[in-house]
Amino acid sequence: MDSSEMNEGEIHQIDSDDVIKEEDETENEEGEDLTEDAEALKAELAKIVVHPPSYEQSLMEEFDQAEFSPSYKDNLPKENLVLQYAENFRRQMVQLYRDRKPLFLNPVNECGVEKFVCTTIRPTLLEFKELYNWDGAAEFVADYLNIEPLKPEYELPKRLISPSTVLKRQKGNCFEYSTLLCSLLIGAGYDAYVISGYATKETCLADESRDICPLLKKKEEVQEEARKKEMKKYNVKPPRDLRSKFELKQEAKKEAEKQAEKEKQRKEEEERIAELEKPPPDPYFGLRIHAWVLVLSGKREVPENFFIEPFTGLSHPMDSSNYLGIESVWNNVNYWVNMQDCSEGVKGLSFDLGDSTVWEFMFPNNDKPLLKIPDAEDDLNDMDDDEDDEEHEVEKYLDMPPSWVDALKLSHRDFQMRCPHGKKTKVYKRAKLEKFAHYLMKDGLISRLSVYEDRELTDLMKVHEYYAHRSDKLTQKLTNHRTGQVCENFDPGRPRCLKEHQFKSSTPGPENERVMIFYHEARVDGLVKREETQTEMTEEYSNRDDFLFYKYVEFGKRAKKFGPQETSSANKGRPINKMIQKFHRNRNKPANEDIAEIIFHVAEDKIHISYHTEDVRIAASTREFLKPPNWDEKGAVLTFNPEMHQTFQVDPMLPMNKQVELYEMLMELLKAEEKCRNEVRDSQNEVRNILDDRTKEEAASELDISVYDTERNEKAKKHRRELERQQLEEKMRKQEMDIDYLAPFLAKIGNPEKLSKQQAFSLKEECLADLKQRLIDKANLIQARFEKESQELEKKQAWYQQNQVSMGKEDEEEYLTYCKEAIFRIHILDLRLTRHKEQAPHKYMQLEQKLRNDERLSEFF
Amino acid sequence: MSRLYDTVEPAVIDEEMLKKAVEEQGPKEEAGKIAKQEGIDFGDVLSLRLDFLNILKIDNLWEFTKLTKLQLDNNIIEKIEGLESLVNLVWLDLSFNNIEVIDNLDSLTKLEDLTLYSNRISTIENMDSLLNLHVLSLGRNQLTDLENLRYLRRFKNLKTLNLSDNPFCKQDEYKQYVIAFLSNLEFLDYRLVDQQSRDAAIEKYQVSRDEMLHNEKQAEIKKEDETKRQQELEKHKNAYVELMNGPDLFEQMYAEDKEGQKLNEMPEKFMQICTQIFDFGIAEHEKREEEVKSFWECVEEAKQDNKRLGMVHIDEFTETKKRMLLEMSQMSDHKMVEQYARDYNDKIQVLWDKLMGLELQLVDQLEEVIKEFERNMQDMVGTFVENVQALLSQCRDLENNHHEKMMEIAIVTLEKVIKNELDDEISDDLKMLLVDKDTIINAVSSSHDVHLLKIDNKEDDIVTRINQSLKNLIEQIHQDEEITRNRMRVSEINNLIDHLREEMDNLEVMQN
Repeated sequence: MDSSEMNEGEIHQIDSDDVIKEEDETENEEGEDLTEDAEALKAELAKIVVHPPSYEQSLMEEFDQAEFSPSYKDNLPKENLVLQYAENFRRQMVQLYRDRKPLFLNPVNECGVEKFVCTTIRPTLLEFKELYNWDGAAEFVADYLNIEPLKPEYELPKRLISPSTVLKRQKGNCFEYSTLLCSLLIGAGYDAYVISGYATKETCLADESRDICPLLKKKEEVQEEARKKEMKKYNVKPPRDLRSKFELKQEAKKEAEKQAEKEKQRKEEEERIAELEKPPPDPYFGLRIHAWVLVLSGKREVPENFFIEPFTGLSHPMDSSNYLGIESVWNNVNYWVNMQDCSEGVKGLSFDLGDSTVWEFMFPNNDKPLLKIPDAEDDLNDMDDDEDDEEHEVEKYLDMPPSWVDALKLSHRDFQMRCPHGKKTKVYKRAKLEKFAHYLMKDGLISRLSVYEDRELTDLMKVHEYYAHRSDKLTQKLTNHRTGQVCENFDPGRPRCLKEHQFKSSTPGPENERVMIFYHEARVDGLVKREETQTEMTEEYSNRDDFLFYKYVEFGKRAKKFGPQETSSANKGRPINKMIQKFHRNRNKPANEDIAEIIFHVAEDKIHISYHTEDVRIAASTREFLKPPNWDEKGAVLTFNPEMHQTFQVDPMLPMNKQVELYEMLMELLKAEEKCRNEVRDSQNEVRNILDDRTKEEAASELDISVYDTERNEKAKKHRRELERQQLEEKMRKQEMDIDYLAPFLAKIGNPEKLSKQQAFSLKEECLADLKQRLIDKANLIQARFEKESQELEKKQAWYQQNQVSMGKEDEEEYLTYCKEAIFRIHILDLRLTRHKEQAPHKYMQLEQKLRNDERLSEFF
Repeated sequence: MSRLYDTVEPAVIDEEMLKKAVEEQGPKEEAGKIAKQEGIDFGDVLSLRLDFLNILKIDNLWEFTKLTKLQLDNNIIEKIEGLESLVNLVWLDLSFNNIEVIDNLDSLTKLEDLTLYSNRISTIENMDSLLNLHVLSLGRNQLTDLENLRYLRRFKNLKTLNLSDNPFCKQDEYKQYVIAFLSNLEFLDYRLVDQQSRDAAIEKYQVSRDEMLHNEKQAEIKKEDETKRQQELEKHKNAYVELMNGPDLFEQMYAEDKEGQKLNEMPEKFMQICTQIFDFGIAEHEKREEEVKSFWECVEEAKQDNKRLGMVHIDEFTETKKRMLLEMSQMSDHKMVEQYARDYNDKIQVLWDKLMGLELQLVDQLEEVIKEFERNMQDMVGTFVENVQALLSQCRDLENNHHEKMMEIAIVTLEKVIKNELDDEISDDLKMLLVDKDTIINAVSSSHDVHLLKIDNKEDDIVTRINQSLKNLIEQIHQDEEITRNRMRVSEINNLIDHLREEMDNLEVMQN
């Protein structure tokens, strides 16, 4: 604190010295001793300074003043004080550093009121978890707002709109972007600052067309460190190299030369391209004003300082060439002016804000660790008592007033929409990125990255589309317009567990070139990959109980059929020429009996088997069978003779297999072949089914809505509405229940304010009599109906007895049903009457009780 | 196979019967025809059914070594026998016979299903080795003693048990008793044992069951300890320093020295040295093990590398062969075919050269490595022996010191005795020794000699054993890794090459 006072004091001293020298100003110019007149005058003067005549006065957007809270339209005394202080600071700076550019201190807000920039920052932590980390927050700000470039680009803006308004109108200049981002970052606990400074044209205009799209940047391949081969004690010596050393040397030399040549060429080419791609020279280079965000290390486990570019949401290192100079930095508590030389850009600048030799701070309540000032100066300070007192007073007044900005609010819906209207397009070097809000597009598209061959974005190379919430689980689609290849990626959860599907857009049908990759963990058959060409199919498996890991099928041409085309022939598979199955080693079997590979030469009626190699051997046993001539006849007895079998046994000592065993083996193989063939057919059908599904899904892509998404989930919404409606009805019913029995009778006597005893009695009598009457009426009514029904029934019976002879069967049936119904009705009426009789006295009693308790009558009973 | 007469004509298992059974139960149809032509080896038969044959005595089954399933039900067998060689048997059916004693099943360790239904068995016994038993049927026998069922507890896998129609089934508590003491059972007497009845039964026999469990557990722990101790000792033996971590050597020294025992007590120092030897021995042993392990690893690696190379060559060749054969089959020109055949033969020769070259290279490499290993091992053993010897000589020094002191004391005591100055009461044994100078000196020095002899013996023992085992190891390595392996590989290569050549010749013959 000492040093700050000291420093402040120095400035003041120098200031006052200057003032004396200039003789224009009076002594009371100093900070807090101003008279009112001078104050006013100063304000006037300040305004004049702040608004230098500009030839390109852009029309400022007008805001409806009514919608802002009073803190926007007025200044608190404390704020005024801060403004004065800032103004004084500015003037001192101007005095001391005449050729310095003006500082960005007191711009007006949307209501035309001057506000100090530090108070415009409103630290806020919003409820979205994406905004808790700096990258998420920066990306959000970059996406959510539209850019308004500064006009003119080499002048500070006159107005700084509050972050809350910026959020509402979804656009802003670099200062508004940075202020908003800074509010969010400080709210999330980062040590973040707004920087006012200078940047390149590309940065100021957010022109990323020279940058490679971040999505295209190759991820740094995590190179698995090749496991160093342990030098063991008994490693065998490699065989002696018998080649000529000299020749080898010459060879190596030549190779090196070639490499060097190539390297050189590559470098030249690179340089040439770099030259071509250099931006055209900018006349305002170094003058373009820009604001961005600085995050200092220390808080939230940030390991080192970095910049965030608010327009793109990307981080930049401290020596970024995009930024050319820094004028000042501020956060919500203080304001620092850069005293370092920026002729080399921002490279090598110190961001030790506590170091007052490189950062001139504005408020003494600097929470940054300060450099210790030597005691000698302290003494000097002590001697100057007046100064000291003043300083104390200053300190008392000058802590930062709270932000005048309303709390930042962001609705869930707006947050999900991300970009203004849910769409945003960005142009990168040879690429275009379009972003869409979730659920905005019918097909679930959330972003599309188009990569072009040239800088002018005319020659489309490939398109990368990302999807979300699709019910068919499609997440990515990569279309290569050059080769016509399409690659689709899916999330787990599809039927048949498809993970990736590559095909040619020109030939999407079955039996064409394609690769399908599956989530093999979820599949019963453990299929990992299925590759197809027009005549071949290869399948890879993993983790199967039968150790199968590879299957290859070669198809022949479909036999052309003459005559009428059968509809089923299209579905019939192509003939199979050859099938290969490969198996992993099954350690439970001896290697000589463990099949490694079976080749079914279907076309040649041959089966070839290779076995696994034993651990101590290098050759593998093989076996070949010729299929019996009648093998495909059903029910035929298959014959066998020794000539149908050939074998090579690695170990000649092993006993030869018996004929029976061979015969049984052959039978097994025939079965296996049949099975394999069926599996191939199944695979083909599966491909067809998947393709059918895909076509259907593409035609009508549905989006899944999470059950937790109350806003979008129609069903849940309906349910909720239904519940609300029920509640309402319930309420209504309750109201109805509370019907006033006395109302009609009170109305009869003219709704008197107060009832006399007599009136009350008569009222009660009347009311009860009325109920009695109604109950009797009801009983009568039931009785009348009962009688009517009985009479009708009697009549019908009489009629039936008369006409019974001449009646048809149908009529008779009709009569019988009528009788049944009538008797049922009569019975019901009877029941009702009995119940009414039972209940009527109770009802009467109830009403009497109620009337007795009625507050209007209760006083009389 | 129906019985024609009620009269029981005893039969024996003979070749004819077996042949008939095997043929009847063997492969059917075409396969059967082929099998018949060829004849069936009894050794290959997996399952055999010999039921309703009035067999009195099991015999002549020793050839069926691969048999897994054997049915001998509905005969008149009286004794279980002749099954010793059927070690692969999983399923054995001896129901409806006249067996009285369970016996001779010890070699059938793989047995899972044993049926002895309807016999005359009165005790469950002699089945200790059938630890894999899953299903056991002992229904309709003469079992009377429920206690006897505890014998079945040793079969941890026993899930299904049939005991119906035995005398003890009439007892009320029979079922609960069985369930309580064989609580792993899932099926008893054709019925599923449900959890409820199991709980009830266990509750009923809680006390005696707990006691039994406790005893079993104790026995198990004891056994485990025993095996652990055995393993430990085995390990120490391998390190050639067994029993050196205790007073054993010292006790041995005095074991054959009755006089010395009377004169002595256990010195601390001696123990320390013994322990030192022990620790050193264990450490050295571990080092040697490590050495051997790394040696084998490297050898294995070298062999694998070599194998891989060889396989690559063979694969390459197979590819070329396929191509060439395809081309040849499409050729009509006789001369060209011959040319191809010659080419092919040349290629075979090249393959042979390559494979043999690889093998020679491997032989060279291994030879070198083995030599180095041998040298290192010898060095290690040398150091070990030296150190042990040094430590044992310390022991010897101690013994010498001890001997001198002993001598002094003996003489002094003798003098005292002679002068009758000895205050303390001494034992009669000692008195016997303390009669004159020669006796006592003889006694002391003979004791000393015995001690030294023991130490020397120990030393010799350690040194010879370690040298012997090293020699064995090295010899074995030479034999296995150099000679056997090499011969096998060479014969393999030659076999392969011969096969390839033959293939070619056949093809040519066919084409001609």
